[in-house]
Amino acid sequence: MAGLAQAEIQTTGSGGPFGRMARRQYAALVVMRWRMVTNNLRSVQGAFEIGARGIGLIIYTIMGIALGFGLGGGAYSIMKTGHLQFMPVLFWTVFLVWQVLPIALASFQEQFDLNGLLRFPVGFGSFYLLNLVFGLVDVPTILGGICSAGILTGITLARPQLFFKAACVLALFALFNILLARTVLAWVDRWLAKRRTREVVSAIFLLMMLSLQLLNPALRSEAHFQQPDKVTTKDNQQKFMNRFRGWTKNAHALEAWLPPGLAAAVVAEPQEGTPERSMMSLGILGLYVLATGAVLGVRLRAEFRGERLSEAPAARKRNESDTKWVLDGSGPIAAVIEKELRTIPRSMPLLFAMGAPLLTVLVISTLFKNGAMGGRPFQLAFPLCVCYALLGFTQLIFNNLGAEGTGIQMLFLSPTPIRTVLLAKNLLHGALFALVACLAAVLATLRLGQPDLTLLAITAAWVLFALPTNLAAGNLLSLTMPYRVNLGRVSRQRGSQASALVSMLIQAFVMGFGVGALEICSYLDKRWLAAPVLLALAAVSLVVWMQVLAKADSLANRNRENLIATLAKTE
Amino acid sequence: MPGACVTLLSLPHMETAAIQTHGLTRCFGALTAVQDVTFTVAAGQFFGFLGPNGAGKSTTIKMLTGLLEPTAGTIEILGKPFTASALDLKRQIGVVPEGMALLGRLTAPEYLRFVGRMYGLERETVNRRTEELLEFMQLADERRKLVTDFSHGMQKKLALAAAVIHGPRVLFLDEPFEGVDAIAAGMLKTMLQGMINRGATIFLTTHVLEIVERLCSHVAIIHQGRLVANGSLAELRAGVASTLPGSESEQRLTLEEMFLSIVGASAQEQTQELSWLA
Repeated sequence: MAGLAQAEIQTTGSGGPFGRMARRQYAALVVMRWRMVTNNLRSVQGAFEIGARGIGLIIYTIMGIALGFGLGGGAYSIMKTGHLQFMPVLFWTVFLVWQVLPIALASFQEQFDLNGLLRFPVGFGSFYLLNLVFGLVDVPTILGGICSAGILTGITLARPQLFFKAACVLALFALFNILLARTVLAWVDRWLAKRRTREVVSAIFLLMMLSLQLLNPALRSEAHFQQPDKVTTKDNQQKFMNRFRGWTKNAHALEAWLPPGLAAAVVAEPQEGTPERSMMSLGILGLYVLATGAVLGVRLRAEFRGERLSEAPAARKRNESDTKWVLDGSGPIAAVIEKELRTIPRSMPLLFAMGAPLLTVLVISTLFKNGAMGGRPFQLAFPLCVCYALLGFTQLIFNNLGAEGTGIQMLFLSPTPIRTVLLAKNLLHGALFALVACLAAVLATLRLGQPDLTLLAITAAWVLFALPTNLAAGNLLSLTMPYRVNLGRVSRQRGSQASALVSMLIQAFVMGFGVGALEICSYLDKRWLAAPVLLALAAVSLVVWMQVLAKADSLANRNRENLIATLAKTE
Repeated sequence: MPGACVTLLSLPHMETAAIQTHGLTRCFGALTAVQDVTFTVAAGQFFGFLGPNGAGKSTTIKMLTGLLEPTAGTIEILGKPFTASALDLKRQIGVVPEGMALLGRLTAPEYLRFVGRMYGLERETVNRRTEELLEFMQLADERRKLVTDFSHGMQKKLALAAAVIHGPRVLFLDEPFEGVDAIAAGMLKTMLQGMINRGATIFLTTHVLEIVERLCSHVAIIHQGRLVANGSLAELRAGVASTLPGSESEQRLTLEEMFLSIVGASAQEQTQELSWLA
């Protein structure tokens, strides 16, 4: 009988990724995913989650359509006017959308970990194909796809005879982007799997951010030293333009051999009348696709063979540092803070999320400084830079139990009330936010100049209002809408669109209040009044936060089963 | 081994009930997972709580340890109602729950220290017990490894270490021997027996009936959410034997035979139906 069963498996097991058995497996997976969606609708949180995901997709689609319209208009204009040298800009934009967004959105994307399928008789071809296809309806692909469609439409409207060629190039370019995004995330997960590597990468990342922040003031001071006061602004602009042309010339030489440049070169060919060059560009683009696919294949092959991303460094004898406590005191608050302090540095996504706002501060302060707001000084520049720091803490604050995993049971089993656990987490997150906010304030001051005392006071008052509001809402959301987070992974996370949506709404509410108070008081010609108004709101939010903490245990007990089921469930 | 447990029955601390439930019921929607379960575990007992898969063992443990709220019924641990004295009781109980409740991103010493501090132990006590437990559980060489990278057996040992670090008076163990190698299992049995000798109470669920037979003085069997047997091994043996033909069968009855007889399962019949299996 066993022989018969084995024979059946062998018969159906052949046929590669498109064979009979593979097709059955794909069908089973589709049904499984569909069942998971419908089963999610059984609970209110699940239904809310799906609703929020739908809303998120609509929002991203609208954003994509807006961007696609812009790129389409650009493509049309370039083809009509013959300024084909600008075509690579469009392809680079699509490339950036496709490659940068997956990392930025990694924590909000629900991705199915296909390694779980390896216990079944799945062939490598099927495994590879599934890795490509699964998660294809994600935000970067939607945005990238719409942008590509926009470019295709623009080119076709300008030159209908180019439709087929442009469609082929864009399809190949899209395939390259999908492969590259998958490859990067797969290898990043591999590299960051080892704790030592992760620590090194984290250190490099932080150093890089600091260097970037310090580089600009350094360059500015050098430029200031080199330019005598009598040199006019016009001369400076001329010098800058000359230097900029030099940079772009060098960059263009390199860019022409990279996939976005190659794709653009193929589309731009008819105007220059060099079909051989066009074919060569297409060929090299194809080689890029194959090479990227092969690099992804190496990684997936290792996973297919059962490689386990090991955390294990070599065993080491006990040393003195093992017994040291980061935080003294034996109380549970110290215990929770110490646990968090040991956990956070081991999570690259969290470090990235906390540090990234500083990079944003660099960018937006440059925009404000260069008069992006119509040339007039932007009074909200300084507070906006500070409030960006808060955005990095969204995931940490609004899902503060997400990383506990099965450990959530320990929290319920221990004699420590959940409110104490939340208080400890809030204290740490508040302190970390204060640190990042101070860094952002210092950077903004370096970039934009010292803010006047009134604005400084208003910003401080806003922070005092925003932080407890975020913490209170975060505690409520963490207890009622938790989702499990794997702190060691950049990709293949289970995110929560519902939680992301609610947290964004709360951020919009908090920032709206701040901006509203400032604008109204400015309109009344009593800008200073915004500070006491925000302080009054801060007092209210502080009371609300304390109330939420006071009720945390009863709320946690009411949601205990959901919390344990969600956070302690097996992947 | 059962003999040793029987000796403990005569100790003075046995007079107090360590665990007492009355009419314990838990429903999940239309499904009643545990129905009207009433039993008492005397202090110092090694109590085996058995049942087939899905019988309601883990649900019962979750209710007893405060992870799950009963739909009906009462629970008393060490003479106090759980709902009214939850925090106080949690200091006195230790649990290895179904999912082990570990924190994967910490190392074993970090996790044990965290748990010790959550139970309010002093710094020196936490450090000392952490080292002792790591040595005892043979995890000392793995101190730099993250828990997420531990094998299943190592995780079980760590979960057990965490459950006892605060010296609980009542210990709840949900499948503690699952995935643990024979050497470690022997070591754990010795440790648990030592705890019993010092007056602790252990509430154990496991599918390894041989371990129950060797360690436990009392056994309860739950089937389809209802308690179908409760008593000492001798009482169970006598009860089952009375339903079987021939009086001499009582002495030869193993716990497995008693268990199968009580829950009415016939595994052989089920496998025979799967004719395509070897």
